[in-house]
Amino acid sequence: MTTPSVKPKAMIQDNTRCIGCRACMIACKSWNNRPADHTEFFAGAGYQNPVDLDANNYTLITFNEIVTGAQPDWVFGRQLCMHCEHPACASACPTTALTKTALGPVVFNESRCIGCRACMQACPFLIPKYDYENLNPKIHKCTFCADRIEAGLKPACATVCPTAAISFGDRDDMVAEAKRRIATAPGTYIPEIYGLDDVGGTSVLHLSSVPFEQLGYITGLPKTPMPDLTHRWLRVTPHFFALLYAVFGALTWIMHRRANRSDSKGHTA
Amino acid sequence: MVLLAIMALGVVLAVVRYAGGIRSVANINNAYPWGWWVGFGIMTMIALGGVGFTITLLVEILGRHRYHALLRPAVLMALLCYASAIVMLMVELGRPWKVWMILVSWAPSAALYEVGWCAFLYLNVLVLEFVQVPLEELGWGRVLKVLRVIYIPIMLLGVTLSHLHQSSLGTLLTLIPHKINVLWWSEQLPLIFLFSAMMAGPALAILEYLAAARWLGFTPNIDMLGGLARIEAWLVGLLLVFRLGDLVIRGAVDAALSWTWFAVSFWVEIGFGLLLPLVLLMMPEVQASRGGLVTACSLVVAGVLLHRLNVAVFGLRVRHWETYVPSFGEIGITLGIAAGAVLVFGVLARMLPIHEELPPTVASQPRATAPAGAWHGARSVS
Repeated sequence: MTTPSVKPKAMIQDNTRCIGCRACMIACKSWNNRPADHTEFFAGAGYQNPVDLDANNYTLITFNEIVTGAQPDWVFGRQLCMHCEHPACASACPTTALTKTALGPVVFNESRCIGCRACMQACPFLIPKYDYENLNPKIHKCTFCADRIEAGLKPACATVCPTAAISFGDRDDMVAEAKRRIATAPGTYIPEIYGLDDVGGTSVLHLSSVPFEQLGYITGLPKTPMPDLTHRWLRVTPHFFALLYAVFGALTWIMHRRANRSDSKGHTA
Repeated sequence: MVLLAIMALGVVLAVVRYAGGIRSVANINNAYPWGWWVGFGIMTMIALGGVGFTITLLVEILGRHRYHALLRPAVLMALLCYASAIVMLMVELGRPWKVWMILVSWAPSAALYEVGWCAFLYLNVLVLEFVQVPLEELGWGRVLKVLRVIYIPIMLLGVTLSHLHQSSLGTLLTLIPHKINVLWWSEQLPLIFLFSAMMAGPALAILEYLAAARWLGFTPNIDMLGGLARIEAWLVGLLLVFRLGDLVIRGAVDAALSWTWFAVSFWVEIGFGLLLPLVLLMMPEVQASRGGLVTACSLVVAGVLLHRLNVAVFGLRVRHWETYVPSFGEIGITLGIAAGAVLVFGVLARMLPIHEELPPTVASQPRATAPAGAWHGARSVS
């Protein structure tokens, strides 16, 4: 066991090493107490199972049939919360039920949630899911095993990967490691780290042998934090409020004075 | 009777929702978490509630006392629109019993936090404004005296808060450029939302006035409506210029000229919601005719509705295999709420002196205290 440190953590998801065994999905379910699903093959994209992340599945190995060389082949990708450095979900939450912790995880505090689903709407990676059938529904998403990290452990998924496709450590080290892998094996990797600076950087860094959009990743996102889009409006709100109140007050006063002075019909101020 | 039936349907569907969860009545899903309930039940309702602050701004702040006959109906409509949105919220939220959390949180970076606070405060303002009407009928002089003293600052607060949260509803959606079609997503969404709410105001006020004239049986002052129609033409024209200018500046003209459902919906919205009513409202014949005003103003209101739905529902695309079509349950509940609001308005309009063209009810006596603004001087001005 490593000793806990306050340096922000990160995880590398090296898709070139993934063999699609889905042990990470099982470990995730196990640690987070998610029930098993009754699923079937070919319900969605071929052998991929389940079709998408949902309230019971916080991470998912995607099976992408891609022609590499002469034959079609499976190239695996992985979906999980990216734990953004500047999370759009947390910025959209009106009750701070979602917060970014110092160690990196974006965590959900069930007791504050009102169920407005603004986080689901805001997330550029479409990660938070909802259990609409529940009478006391909650937001469901990968927790980065915040409780384990807090205790100095690795996230559950990172402990079980048989091919070391998942690495965990300080973010600085993980960024350096991801860059090193790309530099030492340029034939294996495309020269891009998904999450390095997308939406201002994330705590999960993905590596791949094929362009990320072929793995179903959402690409073309801005390199600036998503919350900047609303901040530029919201930060002026208090000033706007004071200004408008003063202007309207002044206008009312002027108009009433004018009405009083000029008319005898009974307009009163 | 029809309204009661629709309302009853809404109540039944709401019971199903509370007994069986959101899934039992709604099609909203993980990819489309808001859908019709937010697009219509909240975003459109709040936009229509803009009638309150628009008419208040016009009459009380800009001193256009000519339109004071529209003030009380406007405030009552706003009150009912906001109340409807709150009722919608209680259905739509996953955990409505936790909604007070917004008031004990500190989340200034969340647009919804600001919307929540402003809408909550504004609802209180509307109640304080409107409650004076029944209190006058009941003759609660002392309470009224206090309410009249605070009327001006409260009224100003209401108009200011409206500017803030009408725009913040747009701010909310600036966060998702990756989901909203390029035809509607704009960094200027807060301004577009504010302007369109302002534009909805006079249109709704004119529609209500003409409807009341017909059903309550008074002769409408078409001259006054014509004046308001000219103001409305300016508002519609300015928004049209702003929308098209914004489209050009953002370089989204190609998307508007391509043959897609998005483009069709966009041009229906621009053509029938802005351009056509603009032309109509500028015509003296329309300004002077009931039918013309009803047509033009209905188009404006429908245009605002379509805009909110385009931004928040139709214009949203997530991943191609994920779809959303509003369910019967979702639409039924929103219609039930709207029917309830119309019904309450109709009843109150018959019970209370909302429309000054009507003869005073037996209970309403000349005001004892000095009126603070047009709100109170309403009956004394001819």
